[in-house]
Amino acid sequence: MTERESLQIIQQMIQTAKQEQKDDGKGWIIWGWLLFLASIFTYLNLKFNWVSPFFFWNIFGLITLVLLGTRAVRQLFYKKKESVRTYTKDLFDKLNIGFVISLLLIIFSMNHLNSVDSVMPQKGFALLLGLYGFWILIYGAALNFKPSIIGAYITWALAFVSLFVTKFQYTMLLHAAAALCGYIIPGHLANKEFNKPKTSIRTTRV
Amino acid sequence: MFKDLDPILHSQLRLAVMSLLIGVKEAEFTFIKDKTGATAGNLSVQVQKLKDAGYIEVTKQFKDNYPQTTCKVTPQGIDAFEAYVKTLQEYIKR
Repeated sequence: MTERESLQIIQQMIQTAKQEQKDDGKGWIIWGWLLFLASIFTYLNLKFNWVSPFFFWNIFGLITLVLLGTRAVRQLFYKKKESVRTYTKDLFDKLNIGFVISLLLIIFSMNHLNSVDSVMPQKGFALLLGLYGFWILIYGAALNFKPSIIGAYITWALAFVSLFVTKFQYTMLLHAAAALCGYIIPGHLANKEFNKPKTSIRTTRV
Repeated sequence: MFKDLDPILHSQLRLAVMSLLIGVKEAEFTFIKDKTGATAGNLSVQVQKLKDAGYIEVTKQFKDNYPQTTCKVTPQGIDAFEAYVKTLQEYIKR
Protein backbone atom coordinates (compact mmCIF):
# COMPACT_ATOMS: atom_id res chain seq x y z
CA MET A 1 0.00 0.00 0.00
CA THR A 2 1.46 3.37 -1.05
CA GLU A 3 1.24 6.57 1.01
CA ARG A 4 -1.33 7.99 -1.42
CA GLU A 5 -3.49 4.90 -1.14
CA SER A 6 -3.36 5.20 2.66
CA LEU A 7 -4.46 8.80 2.44
CA GLN A 8 -7.28 7.87 0.08
CA ILE A 9 -8.60 5.23 2.50
CA ILE A 10 -8.48 7.72 5.37
CA GLN A 11 -10.37 10.33 3.32
CA GLN A 12 -13.03 7.86 2.16
CA MET A 13 -13.71 6.51 5.62
CA ILE A 14 -13.82 9.93 7.24
CA GLN A 15 -16.32 10.99 4.55
CA THR A 16 -18.38 7.88 5.33
CA ALA A 17 -18.37 8.72 9.03
CA LYS A 18 -19.36 12.32 8.20
CA GLN A 19 -22.37 11.05 6.25
CA GLU A 20 -23.65 9.54 9.49
CA GLN A 21 -23.68 12.96 11.13
CA LYS A 22 -26.14 14.45 8.63
CA ASP A 23 -29.66 15.32 9.67
CA ASP A 24 -32.61 14.65 7.38
CA GLY A 25 -34.23 17.89 8.58
CA LYS A 26 -37.64 16.23 9.11
CA GLY A 27 -37.79 17.29 12.76
CA TRP A 28 -37.07 20.93 11.85
CA ILE A 29 -39.71 20.83 9.11
CA ILE A 30 -42.47 19.45 11.36
CA TRP A 31 -41.60 21.77 14.27
CA GLY A 32 -41.22 24.76 11.91
CA TRP A 33 -44.57 24.22 10.16
CA LEU A 34 -46.37 23.73 13.48
CA LEU A 35 -44.94 27.02 14.79
CA PHE A 36 -45.64 28.79 11.51
CA LEU A 37 -49.27 27.65 11.29
CA ALA A 38 -49.98 28.36 14.97
CA SER A 39 -48.55 31.90 14.55
CA ILE A 40 -50.40 32.67 11.31
CA PHE A 41 -53.73 31.31 12.59
CA THR A 42 -53.30 33.23 15.85
CA TYR A 43 -52.62 36.40 13.83
CA LEU A 44 -55.77 35.84 11.74
CA ASN A 45 -57.74 34.92 14.85
CA LEU A 46 -56.73 38.16 16.59
CA LYS A 47 -57.59 40.13 13.47
CA PHE A 48 -61.01 38.54 12.87
CA ASN A 49 -61.91 37.44 16.43
CA TRP A 50 -62.87 33.85 15.65
CA VAL A 51 -62.17 32.12 18.96
CA SER A 52 -60.22 32.77 22.20
CA PRO A 53 -56.78 34.39 21.54
CA PHE A 54 -54.62 31.37 22.45
CA PHE A 55 -56.87 28.73 20.91
CA PHE A 56 -54.40 27.82 18.14
CA TRP A 57 -51.45 27.75 20.55
CA ASN A 58 -53.39 25.32 22.73
CA ILE A 59 -53.94 23.10 19.67
CA PHE A 60 -50.23 23.44 18.89
CA GLY A 61 -49.36 22.41 22.46
CA LEU A 62 -51.63 19.39 22.24
CA ILE A 63 -50.15 18.23 18.90
CA THR A 64 -46.61 18.75 20.24
CA LEU A 65 -47.37 16.72 23.37
CA VAL A 66 -48.82 13.88 21.28
CA LEU A 67 -45.79 13.91 18.95
CA LEU A 68 -43.32 14.01 21.85
CA GLY A 69 -45.20 11.22 23.65
CA THR A 70 -45.24 9.04 20.54
CA ARG A 71 -41.54 9.62 20.04
CA ALA A 72 -40.71 8.83 23.66
CA VAL A 73 -42.71 5.56 23.53
CA ARG A 74 -41.05 4.58 20.26
CA GLN A 75 -37.58 5.31 21.62
CA LEU A 76 -38.17 3.52 24.89
CA PHE A 77 -39.91 0.39 23.66
CA TYR A 78 -39.55 -0.11 19.93
CA LYS A 79 -36.44 1.59 18.65
CA LYS A 80 -33.60 -0.63 17.52
CA LYS A 81 -30.20 0.32 18.87
CA GLU A 82 -28.40 2.37 16.24
CA SER A 83 -25.45 0.65 14.67
CA VAL A 84 -23.32 3.74 15.10
CA ARG A 85 -23.19 6.46 17.74
CA THR A 86 -21.71 9.81 16.82
CA TYR A 87 -20.59 12.68 19.04
CA THR A 88 -22.96 15.00 17.17
CA LYS A 89 -26.02 12.82 17.87
CA ASP A 90 -25.11 12.67 21.55
CA LEU A 91 -24.72 16.44 21.63
CA PHE A 92 -28.11 16.89 19.95
CA ASP A 93 -29.81 14.61 22.48
CA LYS A 94 -28.50 16.77 25.35
CA LEU A 95 -29.27 19.97 23.46
CA ASN A 96 -32.87 18.87 22.87
CA ILE A 97 -33.37 18.14 26.57
CA GLY A 98 -32.05 21.61 27.43
CA PHE A 99 -34.22 23.17 24.73
CA VAL A 100 -37.43 21.52 25.98
CA ILE A 101 -36.72 22.49 29.61
CA SER A 102 -36.00 26.13 28.67
CA LEU A 103 -39.05 26.19 26.41
CA LEU A 104 -41.30 24.94 29.22
CA LEU A 105 -39.84 27.51 31.63
CA ILE A 106 -40.65 30.36 29.24
CA ILE A 107 -44.13 28.99 28.53
CA PHE A 108 -44.73 28.62 32.26
CA SER A 109 -43.55 32.19 32.86
CA MET A 110 -46.27 33.40 30.49
CA ASN A 111 -49.00 31.19 31.92
CA HIS A 112 -48.62 30.76 35.65
CA LEU A 113 -51.62 31.48 37.81
CA ASN A 114 -50.76 34.86 39.29
CA SER A 115 -51.31 37.03 36.22
CA VAL A 116 -49.53 40.04 37.81
CA ASP A 117 -46.22 38.18 37.82
CA SER A 118 -46.67 36.59 34.39
CA VAL A 119 -44.40 37.57 31.53
CA MET A 120 -46.32 39.44 28.84
CA PRO A 121 -46.89 37.20 25.78
CA GLN A 122 -45.17 39.75 23.52
CA LYS A 123 -41.99 39.52 25.61
CA GLY A 124 -42.37 35.80 26.23
CA PHE A 125 -42.45 35.09 22.51
CA ALA A 126 -39.37 37.30 22.02
CA LEU A 127 -37.59 35.09 24.59
CA LEU A 128 -38.81 31.98 22.75
CA LEU A 129 -37.32 33.33 19.52
CA GLY A 130 -34.03 33.90 21.34
CA LEU A 131 -34.12 30.27 22.47
CA TYR A 132 -34.89 29.02 18.94
CA GLY A 133 -31.94 31.03 17.62
CA PHE A 134 -29.63 29.38 20.16
CA TRP A 135 -30.83 25.87 19.24
CA ILE A 136 -30.61 26.57 15.50
CA LEU A 137 -27.08 27.97 15.79
CA ILE A 138 -25.75 24.96 17.71
CA TYR A 139 -27.34 22.58 15.19
CA GLY A 140 -26.02 24.57 12.26
CA ALA A 141 -22.52 24.84 13.71
CA ALA A 142 -22.31 21.15 14.68
CA LEU A 143 -23.48 20.04 11.24
CA ASN A 144 -21.56 22.81 9.48
CA PHE A 145 -24.82 23.74 7.77
CA LYS A 146 -24.82 27.37 6.65
CA PRO A 147 -28.59 27.87 6.09
CA SER A 148 -29.15 27.09 9.80
CA ILE A 149 -26.38 29.42 10.92
CA ILE A 150 -27.89 32.25 8.81
CA GLY A 151 -31.37 31.27 10.06
CA ALA A 152 -30.17 31.57 13.68
CA TYR A 153 -28.99 35.16 13.18
CA ILE A 154 -32.24 36.10 11.42
CA THR A 155 -34.21 34.55 14.29
CA TRP A 156 -32.22 36.59 16.82
CA ALA A 157 -32.77 39.77 14.79
CA LEU A 158 -36.53 39.04 14.78
CA ALA A 159 -36.38 38.35 18.54
CA PHE A 160 -34.79 41.76 19.07
CA VAL A 161 -37.39 43.50 16.91
CA SER A 162 -40.25 41.72 18.69
CA LEU A 163 -39.05 43.18 22.02
CA PHE A 164 -40.31 46.54 20.77
CA VAL A 165 -43.62 45.31 19.38
CA THR A 166 -46.61 46.10 21.56
CA LYS A 167 -49.44 44.49 19.55
CA PHE A 168 -49.46 40.75 20.03
CA GLN A 169 -50.77 40.06 16.52
CA TYR A 170 -47.55 41.58 15.06
CA THR A 171 -45.48 39.47 17.43
CA MET A 172 -47.19 36.51 15.78
CA LEU A 173 -46.13 37.67 12.32
CA LEU A 174 -42.50 37.98 13.49
CA HIS A 175 -42.77 34.56 15.08
CA ALA A 176 -44.06 33.07 11.81
CA ALA A 177 -41.20 34.72 9.89
CA ALA A 178 -38.68 33.27 12.37
CA ALA A 179 -40.18 29.78 12.01
CA LEU A 180 -39.86 30.13 8.24
CA CYS A 181 -36.24 31.36 8.24
CA GLY A 182 -34.96 29.34 11.19
CA TYR A 183 -36.67 25.99 10.74
CA ILE A 184 -38.71 25.53 7.56
CA ILE A 185 -36.25 26.76 4.91
CA PRO A 186 -33.12 25.20 6.50
CA GLY A 187 -35.14 22.01 7.19
CA HIS A 188 -36.19 21.60 3.57
CA LEU A 189 -32.65 22.38 2.37
CA ALA A 190 -31.20 19.83 4.82
CA ASN A 191 -33.73 17.25 3.64
CA LYS A 192 -32.82 17.90 0.00
CA GLU A 193 -29.13 17.57 0.83
CA PHE A 194 -29.77 14.38 2.85
CA ASN A 195 -31.67 12.71 0.00
CA LYS A 196 -29.07 13.55 -2.62
CA PRO A 197 -27.57 10.40 -4.14
CA LYS A 198 -24.36 9.69 -2.24
CA THR A 199 -22.09 9.54 -5.27
CA SER A 200 -19.01 11.01 -3.65
CA ILE A 201 -18.55 8.13 -1.24
CA ARG A 202 -17.18 4.92 -2.60
CA THR A 203 -16.95 1.95 -0.31
CA THR A 204 -13.43 0.68 -0.04
CA ARG A 205 -13.30 -3.04 -0.66
CA VAL A 206 -10.50 -4.28 1.49
CA MET B 1 15.18 11.00 7.91
CA PHE B 2 11.66 9.58 7.78
CA LYS B 3 10.03 7.59 10.50
CA ASP B 4 8.56 4.18 9.71
CA LEU B 5 4.83 4.00 9.30
CA ASP B 6 3.11 2.15 12.15
CA PRO B 7 2.80 -1.45 10.84
CA ILE B 8 -0.43 -1.98 12.79
CA LEU B 9 -2.10 0.87 10.93
CA HIS B 10 -0.32 0.43 7.62
CA SER B 11 -2.72 -2.21 6.38
CA GLN B 12 -5.76 -1.43 4.21
CA LEU B 13 -8.49 -2.87 6.38
CA ARG B 14 -7.06 -1.87 9.75
CA LEU B 15 -6.52 1.67 8.49
CA ALA B 16 -10.08 1.78 7.13
CA VAL B 17 -11.47 0.61 10.48
CA MET B 18 -9.45 3.18 12.42
CA SER B 19 -10.37 6.01 10.00
CA LEU B 20 -14.03 5.11 10.37
CA LEU B 21 -13.93 4.86 14.16
CA ILE B 22 -11.99 8.08 14.57
CA GLY B 23 -15.01 10.04 13.30
CA VAL B 24 -17.67 8.41 15.47
CA LYS B 25 -18.16 7.66 19.15
CA GLU B 26 -18.65 3.93 18.69
CA ALA B 27 -19.81 1.60 15.96
CA GLU B 28 -21.17 -1.90 15.70
CA PHE B 29 -19.22 -4.62 13.94
CA THR B 30 -21.95 -4.88 11.27
CA PHE B 31 -21.70 -1.16 10.53
CA ILE B 32 -17.91 -1.39 10.06
CA LYS B 33 -18.37 -4.48 7.90
CA ASP B 34 -20.88 -2.66 5.66
CA LYS B 35 -18.81 0.46 5.27
CA THR B 36 -15.51 -1.27 4.61
CA GLY B 37 -16.96 -4.03 2.46
CA ALA B 38 -14.79 -6.58 4.26
CA THR B 39 -15.76 -10.16 5.04
CA ALA B 40 -16.77 -10.93 8.62
CA GLY B 41 -13.86 -13.34 9.09
CA ASN B 42 -11.19 -10.97 7.84
CA LEU B 43 -12.64 -8.05 9.76
CA SER B 44 -12.76 -10.12 12.92
CA VAL B 45 -9.06 -10.91 12.67
CA GLN B 46 -8.08 -7.28 11.98
CA VAL B 47 -10.30 -5.93 14.76
CA GLN B 48 -8.62 -8.35 17.15
CA LYS B 49 -5.17 -7.07 16.07
CA LEU B 50 -6.24 -3.47 16.68
CA LYS B 51 -7.61 -4.48 20.04
CA ASP B 52 -4.39 -6.30 20.98
CA ALA B 53 -2.43 -3.17 20.08
CA GLY B 54 -4.67 -1.18 22.43
CA TYR B 55 -5.96 1.01 19.60
CA ILE B 56 -9.60 0.04 19.97
CA GLU B 57 -11.90 -1.19 22.69
CA VAL B 58 -14.24 -4.04 21.80
CA THR B 59 -17.41 -4.71 23.78
CA LYS B 60 -19.36 -7.90 23.24
CA GLN B 61 -22.89 -8.27 24.54
CA PHE B 62 -26.20 -9.94 23.74
CA LYS B 63 -29.13 -7.90 22.52
CA ASP B 64 -32.46 -9.71 21.96
CA ASN B 65 -30.57 -13.04 21.87
CA TYR B 66 -28.21 -11.80 19.14
CA PRO B 67 -24.52 -11.16 19.76
CA GLN B 68 -23.58 -7.53 19.39
CA THR B 69 -20.01 -6.34 19.05
CA THR B 70 -19.26 -2.66 19.46
CA CYS B 71 -15.93 -1.02 18.69
CA LYS B 72 -14.59 2.24 19.99
CA VAL B 73 -11.25 3.93 19.43
CA THR B 74 -9.08 4.41 22.55
CA PRO B 75 -6.96 7.49 23.42
CA GLN B 76 -3.90 5.40 22.53
CA GLY B 77 -5.51 4.65 19.17
CA ILE B 78 -6.14 8.35 18.54
CA ASP B 79 -2.47 9.15 19.28
CA ALA B 80 -1.29 6.35 16.98
CA PHE B 81 -3.63 7.49 14.21
CA GLU B 82 -2.47 11.09 14.50
CA ALA B 83 1.17 10.02 14.43
CA TYR B 84 0.46 7.84 11.39
CA VAL B 85 -1.17 10.70 9.48
CA LYS B 86 1.70 13.04 10.40
CA THR B 87 4.29 10.56 9.13
CA LEU B 88 2.24 10.00 6.01
CA GLN B 89 2.16 13.73 5.33
CA GLU B 90 5.96 13.88 5.71
CA TYR B 91 6.33 11.08 3.15
CA ILE B 92 4.02 12.80 0.70
CA LYS B 93 5.78 16.17 1.06
CA ARG B 94 9.11 14.51 0.27
